[in-house]
Amino acid sequence: MILKDDERNLNVKNVALIQALPQKDTTRFILMGDTQRWYDESAGFVKSANSQHDISFVVHAGDISDFGLSQEFKWVNQIMQQLKYPYVTVIGNHDIVANGPLVYKKMYGELDYSFEFGNNKFIFINTNSREYNFDGLVPNLPWLQSQLKNNPGDKNAIVIAHVPPFDADFDPKMQEEYARILASDPNVKFTLYGHQHTFKNEEYYEDGVKYMTTTSMGARGYLVVTTWKSGYRVERVEF
Amino acid sequence: MKKLFLLYLTLFSFTTFAQDGPRTDSYRKWYIPDHMKLQFAGNIGFMSGGPGYISRNKTLETDVLFGFLPKKFGGDALITLTTKVTYSPWRIHLKNSYNVAPFSIGFYSSHTFGPQFDSQWPEYYPKGYYWWATAIRLGAYVGGKVGRKVKFANKIRGFEAYYEVGTYDLMFISYLQNTGFLKPADILSLSLGLKMTL
Repeated sequence: MILKDDERNLNVKNVALIQALPQKDTTRFILMGDTQRWYDESAGFVKSANSQHDISFVVHAGDISDFGLSQEFKWVNQIMQQLKYPYVTVIGNHDIVANGPLVYKKMYGELDYSFEFGNNKFIFINTNSREYNFDGLVPNLPWLQSQLKNNPGDKNAIVIAHVPPFDADFDPKMQEEYARILASDPNVKFTLYGHQHTFKNEEYYEDGVKYMTTTSMGARGYLVVTTWKSGYRVERVEF
Repeated sequence: MKKLFLLYLTLFSFTTFAQDGPRTDSYRKWYIPDHMKLQFAGNIGFMSGGPGYISRNKTLETDVLFGFLPKKFGGDALITLTTKVTYSPWRIHLKNSYNVAPFSIGFYSSHTFGPQFDSQWPEYYPKGYYWWATAIRLGAYVGGKVGRKVKFANKIRGFEAYYEVGTYDLMFISYLQNTGFLKPADILSLSLGLKMTL
């Protein structure tokens, strides 16, 4: 299935839209995810998200599709285009089955990428290790380290991925190292995930970093994250 | 797949000689196909084609179609092998040389080839981690066809044109769970085909 122009390279296009927004001391964004085969609920999410105030953008935490079919990616994009805000994505394990990666790369772009907005550096990383048979290359830890290191303005470093490191689908050999990389950077206060279809907020490794997950569209919930230079606030919303 | 194919052959191809026109090869071997089909679209390739067999009473067709989806239309070039079974219970013979089968119903199983498609998930997934197989799609359709006898290549042959409207497992389940956002038209697709009796 061939993608239309407004179905191509969306993350780069939407990051440009986000960065063109007026910069404020406080940034508010929505974290949602796991739209997989929940189109009706995802449409409900858009309605709820559009009624929030002062939102700059929406982050989709992955599992855009359920079967990795291009038709599914198109349907979800169709729904997300009804948002009043630009949206960006990180890839989920379901987006990696069949020809999913081919579609994802065309529609959204790189699997690992970052952008800066306001006082924040957003880092999106593919953590779906199981899809690569735990080959030791996913997540790309050297890339993550270089992204965190390259932060001269000491902005809040907000790492966002689909599978959280404490999940069985994250490479168990890389879990400790991943957590250590995040904890050793004072700019990392919290980090955001999807995949588990439930809300979580725990300091999993007792190292000062809060690990949060948003729930699925099937469970009809999402997070509203507010960040500023010296702090952050996360609210759970059910719709 | 192969077993299924052989089963179809055994079930439906005992008698394939002509009852409806002069044919010179009435005693041909059971495994010689009765017809060829060429199909456009239908979730089994942009174009697909292959041999088929028909039951003695001419209502049940079994086809094996080799399909190709070019990169230009699919975003990726894909090759599929499909077995489809079509039941057309009624045939109306018109006064001219035409006949119409107003209703057909059928199902298919297609196998898509490529390292990114699995019929069994690799062992690094826990059992049942994903419930479907990416290489195998099951679909169903309804349709109809119109046929005519034509002398072609020194033989009276039956030619048929058919249409089918169908969907497949993953689309169908998506629709069932999202009848607000998805309309039947979102999951249905039209295919057109030609059949030539051999």
